[in-house]
Amino acid sequence: MYRDISVKFVDVSKSIGTRVLFTGINLVVNAGQRLVITGPNGSGKSTLLKIIAGLDQATTGAIQIISNNKQLDAEERRACLGLISPEIILYGDLTSYENILFFTRMRGIECNQQRIEEYCQRAGLANDKEQLVRTYSTGMRQRLKFALMLAIQPVLWLLDEPSSNLDADGKKLIVQMISRGIEQNAAIIIATNEPWEAKHADYKIELA
Amino acid sequence: MLTIRLNLLNCIWAIMMKDGICEFRTRYAVSALFMFALISLASISMSIGAASLPADLTAALLWVLLFFCAMAGLSRVFVQEEESGTIIALQIYGPGQAVLFGKLLFNTLMLLTLTVLIIPLFIIFLNVEIYHWSIFMVVLILGDIGIAAASTITAAMVAKTQGKNALFTVLTFPILLPQFLSSISATTKILINVKPDISDILFMVSYDVVLMIASSILFDYLWYD
Repeated sequence: MYRDISVKFVDVSKSIGTRVLFTGINLVVNAGQRLVITGPNGSGKSTLLKIIAGLDQATTGAIQIISNNKQLDAEERRACLGLISPEIILYGDLTSYENILFFTRMRGIECNQQRIEEYCQRAGLANDKEQLVRTYSTGMRQRLKFALMLAIQPVLWLLDEPSSNLDADGKKLIVQMISRGIEQNAAIIIATNEPWEAKHADYKIELA
Repeated sequence: MLTIRLNLLNCIWAIMMKDGICEFRTRYAVSALFMFALISLASISMSIGAASLPADLTAALLWVLLFFCAMAGLSRVFVQEEESGTIIALQIYGPGQAVLFGKLLFNTLMLLTLTVLIIPLFIIFLNVEIYHWSIFMVVLILGDIGIAAASTITAAMVAKTQGKNALFTVLTFPILLPQFLSSISATTKILINVKPDISDILFMVSYDVVLMIASSILFDYLWYD
């Protein structure tokens, strides 16, 4: 539905009170490209991702999401992206199978049991897919977010500290997923301080 | 166009089912609502003894009871999402209108279920005789839809605020007042064996429709801005 996505930063700045988080960001990230945002804690990495997702607003400037040469409105913007962030919390009273089924339905994606099981297996949750998510460890919840991302297959990926709480296998999974996302022509924006996640970036933004 | 509408209906159904499954597994709201209703009815019944109340007072009691039951539990549809942090995932993945109408459908069904449980207790505890059952059912359904619609949009408005519980009741009551008065008036007539005017029923239908349209327009601003 959404093809040839690009994310255009037009003189973006954000201040909270008198504190300036970032200013004057101008950049275009196209489909199949990777932008990495780095910076110390509190520098505004997550805030910038939230502005891209339409969950927060820039103080000045704008971030436009363009697909097929058309600027997307607020509803379309959210419909084309997937977000993995510590702030994304999935339903603890549902199983991982039910969570994936629910969110894929929200996106109008038909997902049968076999496919959901496949996504859970790829995310390393094959044995726990019938457990309620509230019984999961933080690492397993992070894996579930990746399983959801696999199921939704967005054209714009926003990843905020994607390897947090993951073991070595989980980190390998992220590398594989990001590579596959690039192959599938998704635009990927990663906020991280892990040097291995920042490798292969097409663009970098360093926030102070 | 048809595909978009079918997708919207599918999303509404998914949200209603998701809330239903979560509620079934925890039973927080149902327990709160039913216990509130039971305690209130038992208290009133014990205080009036064998005496029967005037019809207008009985009708007002029924709707006050339903209103405060709604205030005790219906805000959870958005407040719980906010407090548990799931609202951001829902904002990212859920279409706004589907979220509103899915939550509205869930609240309506929950209030109707509660009404079905309350009415026999209401009749027994307050020694009430109901004439014109079919019209009474219509009044109850329309009144419940109105309460659920007002509660759902108000819950969405107050979910991010501090002091949300007090604010929820304070904001919902004035929105609901015209519908509330009509429901009491129609119920009073039913209790004294007089059929309510068709204009009473039409007013309730219109109010529910207007409330839902206004909620739909307002909700996009709450959800996307």
